Amino acid sequence: MTRPVSRAAIIGALLKKELRAYARDKIYLFLTLLVLILIPVMFTFLPETVDEDLTLAVSPSISTLIEDAKDSLKAMGATDAQLAELDETDLAEQEEGLLLIEFGNAEQMQQVIDGTLEAWRTNDGEIVLRDKEAGEAKPENAQKLNIDIGIAFPQNFIADVAADKKDVTVTVYSDANIGEEIRGAVESFVREAAYQLAGKELPVTMADENSIILGEDRVGNQASLKDKLRPMVIFMVLLMETFSMASLISTEVLQRTVTAVLVTPVRVSDFLISKAVFGTVMCLGQGLFVLLVIGGLTADNWSLVLTVLLMGAMMFTGVALFVGASGKDFMGQLFYSMLLTVPLLIPSFSVLFPGTAAAWVQVLPTYPIIDTLVGAMTYGQTWADSLGSLAYAAAWLAVLFIAGLLQLRRKVQTL
Amino acid sequence: MTPRLTFKILRKDLVLGPRSSIFLWAIILPFALTLVLQVAFGSLFNPEPRLGIVDEGNSQITVQVEGTEGINLTLLDSVEELKTQVERNDLDAGLVLPAGFDQSVRNGERPELQFYIGGESYASSRIILTVTAIDLVRELENSDAPVTVDVVSFGTPGLPISVRLVPVIVFYALVMAGIFVPGSNLVEEKEHGTLMALLVSPVKIGDVLAAKWAQGTLLASVMAIATLMLNDALGPNWLQVIVVVVVAAGLSSMIGLLMGTFAKDSTIMFGLVKGLGIFLFAPTLFYIFPEWPQWIAKLFPLYWILEPIWVVSIMGGSISEVWLELGVAVGITVALIPAVAFVARKVQSQMAAQ
Repeated sequence: MTRPVSRAAIIGALLKKELRAYARDKIYLFLTLLVLILIPVMFTFLPETVDEDLTLAVSPSISTLIEDAKDSLKAMGATDAQLAELDETDLAEQEEGLLLIEFGNAEQMQQVIDGTLEAWRTNDGEIVLRDKEAGEAKPENAQKLNIDIGIAFPQNFIADVAADKKDVTVTVYSDANIGEEIRGAVESFVREAAYQLAGKELPVTMADENSIILGEDRVGNQASLKDKLRPMVIFMVLLMETFSMASLISTEVLQRTVTAVLVTPVRVSDFLISKAVFGTVMCLGQGLFVLLVIGGLTADNWSLVLTVLLMGAMMFTGVALFVGASGKDFMGQLFYSMLLTVPLLIPSFSVLFPGTAAAWVQVLPTYPIIDTLVGAMTYGQTWADSLGSLAYAAAWLAVLFIAGLLQLRRKVQTL
Repeated sequence: MTPRLTFKILRKDLVLGPRSSIFLWAIILPFALTLVLQVAFGSLFNPEPRLGIVDEGNSQITVQVEGTEGINLTLLDSVEELKTQVERNDLDAGLVLPAGFDQSVRNGERPELQFYIGGESYASSRIILTVTAIDLVRELENSDAPVTVDVVSFGTPGLPISVRLVPVIVFYALVMAGIFVPGSNLVEEKEHGTLMALLVSPVKIGDVLAAKWAQGTLLASVMAIATLMLNDALGPNWLQVIVVVVVAAGLSSMIGLLMGTFAKDSTIMFGLVKGLGIFLFAPTLFYIFPEWPQWIAKLFPLYWILEPIWVVSIMGGSISEVWLELGVAVGITVALIPAVAFVARKVQSQMAAQ
């Protein structure tokens, strides 16, 4: 005599079986845990800040250049007010993004650029030079400066240029590895400084800075590599689980254990539901674990991020169901997995590049998932900002999830 | 071990191998990676400031920017499109040059410079593009600059990222063809029962393993050399390149064999590759980031095969420079033989018990 068993109890029993099968494979379990631990560990080594400054060395210091020029300029008829104006010149403050390092003499600056000497800046802002080859110790409470390019102004530079002297030459020292655009810009910078000192105004007028910056001005507040990669890492964990889930399904299909299960009161629909639920929970659980470890949830974005994470987990489960039911053997299944997941992977890389993704990338099913994750976790996007992407993701989710279920049902029924 | 039988199994594997999807991947992957890494991601590691120009009057400035190294120029037709692209961070900055702009500058009329900067552009890019644009406008005046700028460069330029990415692509060629193909092939034989069938014939487990190792070594050698050729990194000493590549393929194949004998099914085989992937891949990162402390790379086994390929093939050096690395690679390969034999004996006894 048997008493009737509810569908929920059957599905619950199937889920228990799935979990036991997953946990029984100690090596596979160990490797999954290893990946889940290694990813956050490696993530901690990523840079948290963005160095968007252009470091430029100058010699002598700006104040020395000005002091040297004062007498000559006075003799040329400069007023006290004009000289006072010159005193207020601070190139480093005037140019946002320009980190100016001043050297007492050109030879030291040259040695720093060619790597003979190291330059360190202490917490007090003092520049300390270190000869590593001579065994000098690292200065305390100081940060090493990476100086690749510097300008050596000649003595009386300001006065000579102001007096319109010919043959005034400025030397730019640069490391051979520095980009051509930076070297060119520094040359342009020197020429423009000379034009200004010579009293030759710009041949064009410039609009106010506020009116020429388009979009939110993020200078000093750029998204770091860590910020950019956080959504990508979560996405990768979801995607990796596709392989694991697909292999679990294909093993069951290939070993025909599913036919044994189906001679019990279990229906095909129970089997499909249990696989879909198990896949989604495993995928979501791993994604959530990594998310909690590497951070990224805030009071403002948690509901949106978790929703997208769930959608992503379901989408990849749909892919796993499809792939797991498609291959004739494990390697065939792996082939299909890679065939399907490589295109799905492409949108995640788009976050590394500035600007909008190409139109063909935006069409891919995973684009709205990664786009919403990046928007919510990196740029503070809200539900309202993400509605379009969510609707698009939901449409793809429905297609992939139903396709996966149908493919698995077809396979199970034909066994 | 019987060489004749080993050769027969090898021949069978080479004939039937191409039917396997993994075999197909081993061939496709290096080509796909070359395309993806060199074409799409080259700019990721070496970003150049991006400038858009709407030129309504064939300005000299556009010609100058086109000839400037290190600035990524996009020519657009509409000011609105330019502003949209700058705002979306598809460009760092945008410049509008109306018809007659050059003449207007030469006439001293001081026209407004319509220059737009993207809010998400880096401060350094803004400086570079702004200063460059102003300098180019100055050039339109045809007046002599009040100063001459001499540039003195130190050192030699570093290797371009396209070269530093080659070890990554070669690594995948070696892993797919050298580790995954023989390993998965062995696992498939176990799963399908063909290994057991073979072992009841005069074939010994050593013959099978030797054949799989030879298959992996051969395929990995061919794919690694094809990858180097594809990336124009074969170097002048091609005979020496073959030696270092064969040593590399031999070690890769031995690791594949160890994984294949250890894994009882394809899931475990895949899990091993997935779990150990980071450990195997790690040394390639030190070629991409040469400023990292290079001694760390030596802690990883595949460093000892990547370094000889890097020196002899990519850098065009001599094999005499990497005897130590080659020796260590051969040493690791030989040291793995007893491990493979031990696991294989265990597997054989398990199969016999079945």
